[in-house]
Amino acid sequence: MKIPYTWLREFVDLRLSPAEAADRLMNAGIEVAAVTPLAPDVRGVVIGEIEAIERELGDSHGHRLLLCRVSIGRQKFSVICGAPNTKVGVRAAFAPPGAVLPGDRRIGTTTIRGVESQGMLCSERELGIGLEHEAGIFVLDGDAPLGADLIAHLGLDDHVLDVEPTPNRPDCLSVLGVARELAALTGTRLRVPTIAPKEAGAPVRTLVRVRIEAPDLCHRFTARVVSGVTVGPSPAWLQARLRAVGLRPISNVVDVTNYVLWELGHPLHAFDYAAVTDATIVVRRARAGERFTTLDGQERALDDSMLVIADPRRAIGIAGVMGGADTEVTDGTTRVLLESAWFDPVSIRRTSRALGLKTDAAYRFERGADIEALVDASARAAQLIAELAGGAVAHGMVDAYPRRRRPRRIRLRMERVKRVLGVLPPPSKAKAILAGLGLPTRQKGRDLEIEVPSFRRDLAMEDDLVEEIVRVWGYDKLPSVVPGSAGTPSIAGSLTGVRGALPPTVIQAQTVRQALVGAGLAEAITHAFSDPACAALLRAPGAPEPLRLLNPLSQDAALLRIHPLEGMLAAVSVNVRRQQPDVAVFEICKTYEPDKGETGARESRWVTLALTGARAEPAWHTADARADVYDAKGLAEHVLDALGVGGLRPGGAGRLAGFEPDCHGTLVTASGAIAAEFGEVSARVREAFGIDAPVFAAAVSLDVAAATTQVPLRYRGLPRFPAVQRDLAFVLGAEQSLTAAEIEAKLAEEAGPLLRRVTLFDVFRFPDGRRSLAWRLTFQAEDRTLTDDEVNRVQEHITRTLTQTFGITLRSA
Amino acid sequence: MGHPRVDAIAQEAREAVAAARSSADLEQARVRFLGRQGVLTQLLRSLGTLAPEERRLVGAAANEAKRMLEALLEERLAEALESERRAQRTRARLDLTLPGRRPARGVLHPLTRVHDEIVAIFAGLGFSVVDGPEVETDYYNFEALNIPRDHPARDMQDTLYLTESTLLRTHTSPVQIRTMLAQKPPVRIIVPGRVFRRDVADASHSPMFHQVEGLAVDRNVTMADLKGTLGLFAREMFGPESRIRFRPSFFPFTEPSAEVDVLCFVCHGQGCRLCKQGGWLEILGSGMVHPQVLKNVGYDPEEVTGWAFGMGIERIAMLKYGIDDLRLFFDNDLRFLRQFA
Repeated sequence: MKIPYTWLREFVDLRLSPAEAADRLMNAGIEVAAVTPLAPDVRGVVIGEIEAIERELGDSHGHRLLLCRVSIGRQKFSVICGAPNTKVGVRAAFAPPGAVLPGDRRIGTTTIRGVESQGMLCSERELGIGLEHEAGIFVLDGDAPLGADLIAHLGLDDHVLDVEPTPNRPDCLSVLGVARELAALTGTRLRVPTIAPKEAGAPVRTLVRVRIEAPDLCHRFTARVVSGVTVGPSPAWLQARLRAVGLRPISNVVDVTNYVLWELGHPLHAFDYAAVTDATIVVRRARAGERFTTLDGQERALDDSMLVIADPRRAIGIAGVMGGADTEVTDGTTRVLLESAWFDPVSIRRTSRALGLKTDAAYRFERGADIEALVDASARAAQLIAELAGGAVAHGMVDAYPRRRRPRRIRLRMERVKRVLGVLPPPSKAKAILAGLGLPTRQKGRDLEIEVPSFRRDLAMEDDLVEEIVRVWGYDKLPSVVPGSAGTPSIAGSLTGVRGALPPTVIQAQTVRQALVGAGLAEAITHAFSDPACAALLRAPGAPEPLRLLNPLSQDAALLRIHPLEGMLAAVSVNVRRQQPDVAVFEICKTYEPDKGETGARESRWVTLALTGARAEPAWHTADARADVYDAKGLAEHVLDALGVGGLRPGGAGRLAGFEPDCHGTLVTASGAIAAEFGEVSARVREAFGIDAPVFAAAVSLDVAAATTQVPLRYRGLPRFPAVQRDLAFVLGAEQSLTAAEIEAKLAEEAGPLLRRVTLFDVFRFPDGRRSLAWRLTFQAEDRTLTDDEVNRVQEHITRTLTQTFGITLRSA
Repeated sequence: MGHPRVDAIAQEAREAVAAARSSADLEQARVRFLGRQGVLTQLLRSLGTLAPEERRLVGAAANEAKRMLEALLEERLAEALESERRAQRTRARLDLTLPGRRPARGVLHPLTRVHDEIVAIFAGLGFSVVDGPEVETDYYNFEALNIPRDHPARDMQDTLYLTESTLLRTHTSPVQIRTMLAQKPPVRIIVPGRVFRRDVADASHSPMFHQVEGLAVDRNVTMADLKGTLGLFAREMFGPESRIRFRPSFFPFTEPSAEVDVLCFVCHGQGCRLCKQGGWLEILGSGMVHPQVLKNVGYDPEEVTGWAFGMGIERIAMLKYGIDDLRLFFDNDLRFLRQFA
C-alpha cells in the first residue's frame, strides 16, 4: 500500500526523514518495501501559459502542429505543440530548455519543419505523473501560479512509502494506522482528524431501511444519505493524492470513498440512491445461479455461499468485494447512499477468490476490518462529499448491528513475559508501550489487563501482547543466551537425551554421496515435477498413474515424477546442449505414486546416475574410451557395496521403462528385491530430451537397500597358508546365449570350499563370433599349504563339468 | 712377489679390465681369465703337472691373482652397471612436467555442502535430524500450524495442491507437528528438506527449494536462547566476527516472531552491493512456538515453551558463494557444479 509521507504527517508530527520513518516501521515489524520520491525524474518543469498561437505548421501523425508563444511570467518561449487541447489562455505543464523529464530526457531547443521550438508542453504521461497522453498537454487551473515549479505546485515533492503489512496487521492498511504505529514508535501524539459532518434535513431513517438477513456474514451495516450532490471531477489536491497512491480519479463522490479508504482503512461504497428500489437495503446470501453485473461491466455467476447487498428487487453489490454497474454513482446522480459495513473475513475471501476479483475492499475485509471505526469512516466520507460535491448530509446514520462486538480483555502476566522472552522489560516501560499503541491497560497487581480495541483484532491472547511489548521495546534488548551455558539448565538437561542423532536415511545419503563423488561424479539436484509428455514416455505399462497437481504453474510441470531417471536425463540434456558432451552425474531423489495413506502419496527414494561421452577426461595417458553400460552397472554395484548390501545377483527383467530392451539389467538382493536397474537409455527417450549421444544410466533403490539386512562388520583372521592361482579360459560357440554369470555360478558351485576368489579377467571375441571368457581362480586352505595335485584335481573337475554341462571348450594356453 | 708367469697373466688381465668399456666387456674379460676355459682357470687346473716346489709357488700366485681379479671385476662391474643404468634412464628422458595421473574427482552439489554444514553445526549442538514426507496433508502443513483455511496468511505461501486436502509441503514445519505428536518434550530437532511453492522460476524464486527447520521445546526455553543459538550458528556459518539482528515479523505459528539478519560479511555493515547498502542480510525466520501450536500437539503451553526457525538453504548458499541466480542450482550445468569441488 502506497502512503505519501506528507499524508502521514497530517496525523503525527515526525522529525524523521521518510527513510528514517520507514526504518522505524521495519524495526517494529511493519514491512516497507520501498521509499520512493513521488515524481522521481522531473526537474525544471514549470507552469506556463499559452499566450498566443502564432501559426500552423501543418499536420503530423494526425495532429495539427501549432507554434505557440508560452509565457512563464518573466520569460517567453516559442514552442511547437501538436496536442489537441492546445488553446490560447490555457495554463499547462511546460518544460523549458534545460528541464529534465523521466527517463533522463533532457529538453532543449529543437527545430521542427525548419522552425525553432524552445522546450515543450507536456502530457501527464510525459511527466510520469499519470497515464493520460492522447487528450493532450497537462492543463492546470487558470489560477495556477505562472512560472511556479510544477512538481512542488502539485504536491509531488513528496516521498511515498510502500507499506506491506503482514496479514495479521490490517490496521496498518491505512494512513491513520501507519501514523498510529509511528506515533507509538516515536512517542508522539496521534492527531485523529475531527470528523463532524454538518447534518441537515430529514433523519436518515426516513430515507433508507436496512435489513440484514445473513447476520452471520454481516455483523454490521450502516447507511448515510447525502442529498443534492453535483457529481463532477474532484479538486486537484484530491486527484493528486489519489494518483500518488496509484488510484485513478473518477468523480468527486467515488474519489471521496477511495480517499477515506486510504485514510482510515475502511472500505465504503456509494450507491446512486435513486437506483435503489424502495430505498431498502437487504443484506442476504446470493441465490444459487443468481447473475450479477459488477462495476467493471463483467457479468458474474454467484452462488449461495456469497453475500450480496440487494434491494428488494435484485442484488446491487457483492458485499465487500465490488458494487454493481446499475447502481453506481454517475454524472446524473443527485443523492448518494453511503454504505459502511463489516463482513465476515472468511466469506469475503472465498467470494473474492471464487470470482477472481481482487479489490482493495476485499483485501481489507478478508484481513478483518474495524467494526467500530466504520462509523467514523462513514461520517468522514459524508462530510467530504458534502464539501466537495455540495449537498446536505441527512441527520444520523442507519446502524444495523446485530452482532455487537464484545470487547476482549487479556490478562498479561509479567512472569509470562519473562518466560517467553527470557528477560523482563521494566513494567512501567511495558505499560507505556501498550498505551502508546492505543491499547488501554489497567494494573492488576503485578500484572496488566488490556482491553483490546476494535482496530487490533490480531491481539487474541497473552503472547500477542508479549510480542507488542518486545517489538516496540526493541528486539535488540533481548539477551543472547548460548544454550548449555548457565541460566538454561533445562536445555543442558535435554542434551542428555539423544544428541545429534542422524536418521538412517541421512546416513545413507551421506554414504552414497561419498562413494559417487569419490568415483568422480558430480552431484545434481533436480525438480520433482514432470511433464506429462515425459511421464507418458517413461511410464512402464501397468504402472500407476502419476500424481497430478490441481494447480500446476504450467502444463509441463503438472505431474510429480514417477521415473527416477527423469532428473538425470534433464541434467544430461542441459549439459550436452551447452557443449559439454562428457557427463557423469548422480542425484539422490524421490519418485511419487498414489497411495492409500494419509498423504495419498508414496515417496520412493533413489540414487540415480547417468553417463554419456568420454569415460574420463582426455589426458595424455588415457585412451579415448567412451562410457558404456558396464560403467553404469559398476557404479550401481559400487553404491550398493558402499551401503553394505551384499549377496547381489543378476536379476530378470527390470520394472523401469526407458531402457533399450537389449541393454537393461538388474541387480537383485538375496530376497529377490530389485536393488538396482541399469542399462542404456532408449534412443526414443533420450531423443525426447534432445540428447544425441548414447546415455547409460542406473537407478538404485535406497528403500530396498535400507530394507536389506546388512552383514555387520566382523574381523576375520588373515590367511596363514599360501594361495594358489589358476587361470581358466573357456570358448563359447558363436550361437550360444550362455552368460558369464551362469558359467561363473556353476564354476563356484563345482570348485568347492578351497576356492576363495573368482575373477573374470578377460573377455574376447574371435572373428568368427566365438567368445572366450577367462577366469582367475584363487585357491586357499585355512589349515595347510595346498599341493599342486590337490589344486589340479579341482581344476580338472571344474573343466570337465563345465565343458560337459554347457558344451563349451577349454581354451588351450 | 708372485711368479713371473702368473704376474704376466695378472698384468694382462688388469689391462683387459682397464680397457673394458661396458659390463659386456667386463664379462668378456671375466670369461677370458676366469671362465671355464679361462687362462687362470687353465693354469690352476694344470698345477698337477708341475713339480711340487713350482706347484706351490705358481698355485699361491695364481690364487692370489684370481682373488685380485675377482675383486677388481666386481668393483668395475658395479660401476659399469650403474653408469649403464644411468645412461639408459637418461635416454628414457622423463618429463616430470607432464600432468600426473589423477583419479577422477567428483563434486557435491553446493546445496549439499551448505546443507551438511548447517546440519553439522546443529548436530554439534545436540539437535537430532528428522525428515518427513514431501507430499503433506493440509492439516500438518497449515491447520496444525495455526494457518486455518481461508485465512490471508495462506497468501504468504502460494501452494501447489494435489487434492483439496493434500499438497506439496510449503515448508518443513509440518515435521514439527509430526515430531511433537510422536514424542513428549524435550524436543530438539532440525529438519532439512525439499519444499515447494507455486512460484514461477526466476533469479530469486523457484517452485522447489530447500529449507532447514529447527525446533526446541522444553521447560524454560526462551527467546533469549533462540537468539543465542542463532548467534552461535551465524558465527559457525559465516565466521567468528559474525553478528545477528532480530527484526519483528509475523508467522502464524510463532509468537513473537522474528526475521533474523546477519551482518553483511562482505562489507561488515558498511553497505555494499550484496546487502543492497543495508549492511545486513536476511537469512531466516524464527520465533517462539505459538501456544496454539503447542496445544494442537497436546503439549501444555504453561508447562513448556519452544522456539522454531526456518531458513532457506539456497539463500545461505547464494550469500556464501555469491551466486546471483537461483535457477543455477537446478540447471546442473557442470561448469557451475564443478566450481564447488
